[in-house]
Amino acid sequence: MKRGGNNVASQDHPLGYLLRQLELYCDLPPEDRQLVLELPHRLRRLDAASYLVREGDKPTNCMVLASGYAFRQKVTGKGSRQILAVCIPGDAVDLQNMFLDVSDHSVQLLTQARVADVPREALQKLVLSRPAIGTAIIQLTLVEASILREWVVNVGRRDARERIAHILCEFAVRLESRGLTGDQGFELPMTQEQLADATGLTSVHVNRVLKGLEADGLISRKRRHIHYDNWRALQDAGDFSRRYLHISDHDTLAQSY
Amino acid sequence: MLNTHDLSPLVRRWSKHADLSDEDRGAILALPFTRKSFGKDAYIVREGQETTDCSLILKGFAYRQKLLRDGCRQIISFHIPSEFVDLQNGVLGMADHNVQSLNRCEMAMVPRSALMDLVNARSTVRLAMWVDTLIDASIFREWVVNVGRRDSRSRLAHLLCELAFRLERIGADKGGAFDFPLTQEQLADATGLTAVHTNRTLQSLRRDGLIQLTSGNLSVLDWKGLREAGDFDELYLHHQL
Repeated sequence: MKRGGNNVASQDHPLGYLLRQLELYCDLPPEDRQLVLELPHRLRRLDAASYLVREGDKPTNCMVLASGYAFRQKVTGKGSRQILAVCIPGDAVDLQNMFLDVSDHSVQLLTQARVADVPREALQKLVLSRPAIGTAIIQLTLVEASILREWVVNVGRRDARERIAHILCEFAVRLESRGLTGDQGFELPMTQEQLADATGLTSVHVNRVLKGLEADGLISRKRRHIHYDNWRALQDAGDFSRRYLHISDHDTLAQSY
Repeated sequence: MLNTHDLSPLVRRWSKHADLSDEDRGAILALPFTRKSFGKDAYIVREGQETTDCSLILKGFAYRQKLLRDGCRQIISFHIPSEFVDLQNGVLGMADHNVQSLNRCEMAMVPRSALMDLVNARSTVRLAMWVDTLIDASIFREWVVNVGRRDSRSRLAHLLCELAFRLERIGADKGGAFDFPLTQEQLADATGLTAVHTNRTLQSLRRDGLIQLTSGNLSVLDWKGLREAGDFDELYLHHQL
């Protein structure tokens, strides 16, 4: 895992967090880093709950979150919603649509966000012409798939407390790997209903579990701000191991919490 | 025991993902591999293992699974002939889950280095490989929905639709009937249900005339009815399987 390789300027760039994410998986030569930052894009500021992609769309742009949070979702025939992933700054929310023509799920914003629209062809061209960028982006989509496998396990075979603790751990490690750590924990921009939709639970159940984790001294909450009071115990409660995230084995959060 | 034609199902599959040239196809067929047989329920890949080979199914079924600390198992996907079961490990280098054979399997073990050399040298082959893994991811998304938000009847009907659809796509159906070596316990582990619940639900699908399930064989009697019961829409398979 490469860390701290980016200067502050690239973090202010709308594609800075994307670059940082790519560099988690692959060392990029300076020209390639420059080519990523020079990708043509149009920046939009959008309100919370806006749809970025709808299931069945044929996107012509690839959207990168410059700031803000989003989630992937599908709705069943009976109208229940399942959240499939939480997207954080730097995530390209529809990278798979670069080569799959039809979107198989929807992406909606959790918070207000700045979104960079990169033309699909420009990204395709870059990925196919620059092997290191291609490899980094392939790895990134493979890690997304690995996270999905873990989510199948989470909703399929873990109990409610484990599911919620697991998702809290995953969120913390992903934010930290992208340099988005706060000193006192994280802003988790999800309602209890959204947490329920991500874990296959009811919001009443989620509420009860969060209270339990708090009562046991694993986390404390102030509105949507979550502080990790006992990181080790929270990982244990969530049956969490960071292997599936394919980032460094080094648990830097263990020093902070 | 090398036979280059063994990899032709892979060429057929990847040709649907990308516009492969004759040279690309030739290069795929020329990949080195060793044949390996696995008995029922054998481990093909173990979680945490470093990858030396990528495993392509020539014959038989396999499944990916993860074990929880309490010994519970969640099956994450099923795989049929012409599919790699661990393509992502070729790139990521380390297995984050287990892969087991479901019945007797014949596998082509392709050295990771040879596969990576091929995709690094040929960008269209690389694209085809990538699309393969992107479709895998789309299937995982659908499975999260299935175990997260569908009732037991829909979950099982959905899984049966998916498998029937994929088997039909590789030409493995015999007039609506398929080899179906999955046990009820495995179906339960794939849908997050108990074996008892799975048994009861399968009986109801049978009773309603949607399927016939006898030892090792699945017949879809009412495809439209099964699709409806399973809330199944093949969009997520991206018509490329």
